[in-house]
Amino acid sequence: MKQILIEKSVLENNDKAAAENRAFLNAQKAFTINLMGSPGSGKTSVLENIISSISLNYNMAIIEGDLYTAKDAARIARCNTNVIQINTAGACHLDASMVRKALSHIDTKHLDFLIIENIGNLVCPASYDLGEDIKVVVMSVTEGNDKPLKYPSMFQRCSAVILNKTDLLPMTDFNIEEFYQDVYSLNENVKVFEISCKDGTGVTSLTRFLMGAIRNKKDV
Amino acid sequence: MHELSIIYNVIEIAKEYAEKNSLKKIDKINMSIGEFCCLQEDSLHFAFEGLQKGTLCENAKLHIEVQEAQAYCKNCNLEFKISFTDKLCPYCNAFSHQIMTGYEILVASIEGE
Repeated sequence: MKQILIEKSVLENNDKAAAENRAFLNAQKAFTINLMGSPGSGKTSVLENIISSISLNYNMAIIEGDLYTAKDAARIARCNTNVIQINTAGACHLDASMVRKALSHIDTKHLDFLIIENIGNLVCPASYDLGEDIKVVVMSVTEGNDKPLKYPSMFQRCSAVILNKTDLLPMTDFNIEEFYQDVYSLNENVKVFEISCKDGTGVTSLTRFLMGAIRNKKDV
Repeated sequence: MHELSIIYNVIEIAKEYAEKNSLKKIDKINMSIGEFCCLQEDSLHFAFEGLQKGTLCENAKLHIEVQEAQAYCKNCNLEFKISFTDKLCPYCNAFSHQIMTGYEILVASIEGE
């Protein structure tokens, strides 16, 4: 009987591919976000809002991740933005090698801002580094304020939380104080943006934050 | 449910090291997982039962050790145990987001002959 010490990370292959993506995107000085959240939280609507205010000033590209269909890519293409769809055919998260492949299909010359919209899922995507600068989670009022504590890993690892559908706050029993308390208990440094894609409330402060980050990356 | 892809990689790593060390068969794989990595142990075992068939790991045992999560407090220069909702340094009460352990998913070692 022999014992062989290994101490090797199971995600090492993913982390290597993520490091390559990060080096490539850093060389391009392209600020990159990994946009995560539940199905139906409004990730694609948030994207549409971001694109309409940022794409006038900066070159953007979007990688759309879904199990099936190119519905989201078709929505984004209507905004005249560089977009590519990844279909995972059942897999519950994007990994770094999928993103690497997608990057080879988009024009990254002069790219300022890349958004990777992950699969709608509050669990698995949190564990896979894609090479992004920051992780952002979209959650919506109708999901209920208990979600951060029920899916703590994702909220703990993100730099910003976008609380969408705030126009519905009066119609629900969403407890916003409890929501902030829970989110900050997981991650005191997280930025929270309350927005409504329906009526546009709060979108400006989100885009201002993103444009600041895009400029910072360009200045590095 | 990404336990299946995790176990697939675990078996690939085990096979690679078995080959390097001329093992004919693997009897045990020791994994170490952080308590923040959101892997369900039962699902890992279930995936292992399915994927080990027809490999060097057939009939091998999977042992999983859970590592506690710790953060580093830069004020006090020490590491302390944390949970998802409590990351306050026990000495100075400052919040620390510098997580040192808790996310790792490792193949620690294999045993065989």
